[in-house]
Amino acid sequence: MRRTLLCLLLTAAPLTAQQNRSVPGTLVMGVGQEATKPYPVVGSSSTADADVADQMFLRLASLGASLRTTGDDALKPELARAWHRLDSLTIIFELDPRARWHDGKPVVASDVVYAWKLMSNPVVAFNGLATLEPIAAVEAVTPQRVRVRFRRAFPEQVYLAGFNLLPMPAHLLERVPAESISTSAWAREPIGNGPYRFVRRVPGEFTELQANPSFFLGKPGIARLIFRFVADGTARKNLLISGETDVLESVPLPAVGEVKAQPQIRLVTVASNILSYALFNSRNPADTAQPNPILGDVRVREALTLALDRKTMATSVFVPGVEVPDAAQSQLWGWITPGGLRAAPQNVARAKALLSAAGWRDSDGDGILDRNGQPLRLSVLLPNSPTRRPFGVQAQQMWRAVGVQADLEIVERPEYEPRRKSGKWDVDFAGVSQDPAPSSLVQSWSCATASTAGTSNVGHWCDPTFDRLLQAASTSRKPVAAWGAVIGRMSQWHPAIFIAAPVNLVAVQQRFTNVTIWPTKSWRSLWLWRVNPAMALPRDR
Amino acid sequence: MNRWLLRRGADACVTALLAAVALVVLVHLMPGDPLTALVGENGATPEQLAALTARWGTDRPLLTKVVEYFAALFHGDLGYSMTRGIPVTTVLRERLGPTLLLGSLTLLVDFTIGLALGLWTALRPESWRARAVSALSILGYAIPSFVAGMLLVWLFGIKLRWLPVAGYSDVLLPMDADAGTVLLDRIKHLILPLAAMVIATIAVPLRQQRAAALAVVNAPWVRAARARGVSPAAVAWRHCWRPALTPVVTLFGLWLPMLVAGAVFIEGLFSWPGLGSLIAEATSARDVPLVVGAGLLLVIAVQLGSLVADVLYRVVDPVQRES
Repeated sequence: MRRTLLCLLLTAAPLTAQQNRSVPGTLVMGVGQEATKPYPVVGSSSTADADVADQMFLRLASLGASLRTTGDDALKPELARAWHRLDSLTIIFELDPRARWHDGKPVVASDVVYAWKLMSNPVVAFNGLATLEPIAAVEAVTPQRVRVRFRRAFPEQVYLAGFNLLPMPAHLLERVPAESISTSAWAREPIGNGPYRFVRRVPGEFTELQANPSFFLGKPGIARLIFRFVADGTARKNLLISGETDVLESVPLPAVGEVKAQPQIRLVTVASNILSYALFNSRNPADTAQPNPILGDVRVREALTLALDRKTMATSVFVPGVEVPDAAQSQLWGWITPGGLRAAPQNVARAKALLSAAGWRDSDGDGILDRNGQPLRLSVLLPNSPTRRPFGVQAQQMWRAVGVQADLEIVERPEYEPRRKSGKWDVDFAGVSQDPAPSSLVQSWSCATASTAGTSNVGHWCDPTFDRLLQAASTSRKPVAAWGAVIGRMSQWHPAIFIAAPVNLVAVQQRFTNVTIWPTKSWRSLWLWRVNPAMALPRDR
Repeated sequence: MNRWLLRRGADACVTALLAAVALVVLVHLMPGDPLTALVGENGATPEQLAALTARWGTDRPLLTKVVEYFAALFHGDLGYSMTRGIPVTTVLRERLGPTLLLGSLTLLVDFTIGLALGLWTALRPESWRARAVSALSILGYAIPSFVAGMLLVWLFGIKLRWLPVAGYSDVLLPMDADAGTVLLDRIKHLILPLAAMVIATIAVPLRQQRAAALAVVNAPWVRAARARGVSPAAVAWRHCWRPALTPVVTLFGLWLPMLVAGAVFIEGLFSWPGLGSLIAEATSARDVPLVVGAGLLLVIAVQLGSLVADVLYRVVDPVQRES
């Protein structure tokens, strides 16, 4: 685990004198989604848009190497050169006076205030507004100083504001109606403040960015970035192997061998924030006001967990390095359990015993357990995705071996979200990209969200003890122990079966040096990459 | 002819309108939430959801939505793509060019080389060359297009490195590249997807033409022409090919919509930015205005194809003309 996390490490090789001549460099990245709105706040929530936007727009502060989100010193300065606290509810961010928009105008406090106003405007549909609920106000004190006021005290205030408040160019957008920004001239050719400027987007093909030579943190090491849209995974792999692209993120399991065999490519393993799990519904699918008659019993939930060979399931779908956790803990949060992610191994005998203790027996000899004439039958919802479909099928077989009948309902993605929100299922094979802050657990696993419609707590999980531990951890000065207790409680009460915490396997052409890949924002340090002049291609010159 | 054409054109318009109404209704009835793609995995606050619902009108009655859609359509407004935030007409225009290019060249190759080969194999059905051509065309038809595509990519893109493995153009081409360079680049990128499409489709016109030509190759007027000493080429061209054209014209009419429908697998494998992959993406994201817009384009293409086929019938078949 620790080794994986450190793989965000520099893979730089020292350059020889001959190699020290720099070349402008071009990096072509094959991406699976087209970046159609590559800007923050009014853009989309897609990874493709965010990856391009990250090259053009900076945050006030960014995560450090520890990926810690608690404490005022956890983050590294970006657009804000410093910050200080006025009281437990107020923080002042000092903007770096060197920061400039790509049109030469300085980045000022009113840009942050304007961004906050946009985020708060319901018409904009800013993805993540719910996360910013603790922020009460954002105000400009001077052109370089921004005051952020919070509704309550908690140790992730700097993270919440510094990482999530991305300034927007008020001088360009203030006169444009909020609902029209995404169709404005600025949206077609975004003007940002980061290491790269927008050059062009060729619809259906690629987005091209050019290094910003006057970037206030230093000149980018690669002159040109091209995000090439290639929807098909096989085509992305082919382009990498043929040398037409330079980087491929999330190399899929079937392609690992072929990519590994290419001498011009190296594979970098990075901790991922992805988590795959089978969520239990706490409510009765037939009457969502009532508790679930089968899964309300923790013995049944534990039995269903122990019946699965999760290691086999995880390694059948994800690349080597995948781990199995017993709680909602992706590899990003590996720091909570320093020994690595832990999970109970498959134990069919114990699973059967637990079910028997819960009153489930095969009284009619049909191979399916029953109780009071009711069979142990679960409706299982899963989207038609290459990872979750095999999980569902494997789980169905393994549960059958302990006498549980699982009826799979595989639906297409657009149907999946409304279906899972309807609550008409017992088990839902879900996946999530976790926020770097463990306090985000509150969104999906707390009593506060269990009774609220439209939240991501679609399983309506509510455990007051867990909530207390969550609350304590959010303000604790000993975060490892406190969050360890949270994770421990979750692993005892089985609100879900946590199946896989995969890694992100990234393929990079060998000619790049200074390669740093981050767990949540893979490409935020792309501007620091360099091309080894000895290995440069014609397109690098 | 003019009256017939007007009547046939009016029929096509009415059919297209009915099909469009059915399309709009059916797309709006598709299961799934169109706002899901917009709000992302973090969900939305109730206020955001209310604003989005009001903006996109997803809560309005079906009849209202259909009436509003057609009212806008008659002003040339196909609405905005929900996922891209730009007018549907812009998105369709961006993707139509690559699809037309690949589709029209596929049709051109299929209906020139395919028909020629079909006629040639019918004229000498017992020769080993003709049998080999027939067998190869059937083999190509039997292999799924994406498998043929993958084999071509592996051989010519990865092993030999003669051709680009995917894409519509070289992303490294300078913006001010001259027309010759751009044309050469397009041709290089076109070869493999076109070859994959042709391999998968050429058997159909070839076999149709072969079967139709076999039916006339020993007809009395053909034997009479041969007896009169007409050259083999003239027999083939004038006496066999033209009478055997009618079933192929039907096929051509049916295939015309392929020009705009694109080929989802081939476009995906070769990362070809066409309408086929766009429709697949839009349907998956429940981008209703975009799906409807692209669907309307297909409806129009089908009607045009049918109209063109009927006109061609009358051109090649004097009996039709007189009726």
